[in-house]
Amino acid sequence: MKSWLRGPRAFALAGVLALLIAGALVAASLTGSSDGQAAPEPPAALDSTETSRLLEGVPQNGTVLGRPDAPVTLVEYGDLQCPYCSAWTHEALPVLVDEYVRPGKLRIEFRGMAFIGPESETGLRAALAAGEQDKLWHVVDLLYRNQGHENSGWLTDETLRLVGSSVEGLDVDRMLDRRGGMSAALEESRASAAAAGIDGTPSFQVGPTGGRLRRVPIESLDAGALRPAIDALLAH
Amino acid sequence: LSDGTLRFCIGALASAGLLVAGYLTYARYAGASITCTTGGCETVQESSYATVAGMPVPVLGLLGYATVLATAFLVSDAARSAGAALALGAFAFSAYLVILQLAVIDAVCDWCLVSDAIVTVLVPFTLLRLSAADRRPAR
Repeated sequence: MKSWLRGPRAFALAGVLALLIAGALVAASLTGSSDGQAAPEPPAALDSTETSRLLEGVPQNGTVLGRPDAPVTLVEYGDLQCPYCSAWTHEALPVLVDEYVRPGKLRIEFRGMAFIGPESETGLRAALAAGEQDKLWHVVDLLYRNQGHENSGWLTDETLRLVGSSVEGLDVDRMLDRRGGMSAALEESRASAAAAGIDGTPSFQVGPTGGRLRRVPIESLDAGALRPAIDALLAH
Repeated sequence: LSDGTLRFCIGALASAGLLVAGYLTYARYAGASITCTTGGCETVQESSYATVAGMPVPVLGLLGYATVLATAFLVSDAARSAGAALALGAFAFSAYLVILQLAVIDAVCDWCLVSDAIVTVLVPFTLLRLSAADRRPAR
């Protein structure tokens, strides 16, 4: 006996089911995304207590956090709009600063990427300009802590002014004026990331200061992911 | 092509899809960075379109590929129809996602494109399996 689920009937049934599946998925996708696309809200007044506590008394020089003679260097490739970078900054950075940077064992260099969108570059130029006043890490930390949805219009001059005015000792006007002069630094970061084969953020390289850096893949966003590589170099 | 060969091809393609969806699911939940040649994978994964009804798209892919794989193990008219329906539905949804990447998100995830290619190749195999059923005794 011939099964009823054959021939044109089988094709028609598959076609109808396929339309139902795809239609339901597309409808759910469109509904969900419109829920999530609320108008960007400008951040309220910033609380810089955590940032100040994290960086107080730690030397900064341009893009580098920590003593210049620290034996080990960690390079962070980050995009200021990347949520994982923000999570890493919340979870891992305070631990690394307390355990390694403050005691003078580690220096951390920030190499900014701007691949998520134009707002990444807006923020990065300001951070690099703050680096001329040795305040890059304050601006980066505050932007990560107050990060908005990527390319939603959150990273504006207004945001940068708000962030800048929360950093003690930073000349905000000078930072904003100097942004245009950061193209070479931006290109340097991009070239260094390309040379290291960096294809996502956050990514890390570790090595002896002044020596050869090697990429350290991370399995999680806590300090434990980088500890073995840093400890191995310190024990050397 | 025999039904056995078609089932093998469908099973192999669904397994490849499972690997891709599994990797993206792992990256999402482990917070690991995605190896990406286009530089857009994380932009796509973190966009508001990366979840459907609260479920991350890679998890949806895992479920879809697992179901197609299951139909490859089953020899019945219902399994043939279900496989073809899922492949066609996934193909249409993948096309929608490609349009989103190009026109709305403005970033392309190469892992998603690999999955799209797998789904595209799955469609003719599942349809061939459906039409081949007419030449076999009913089960």
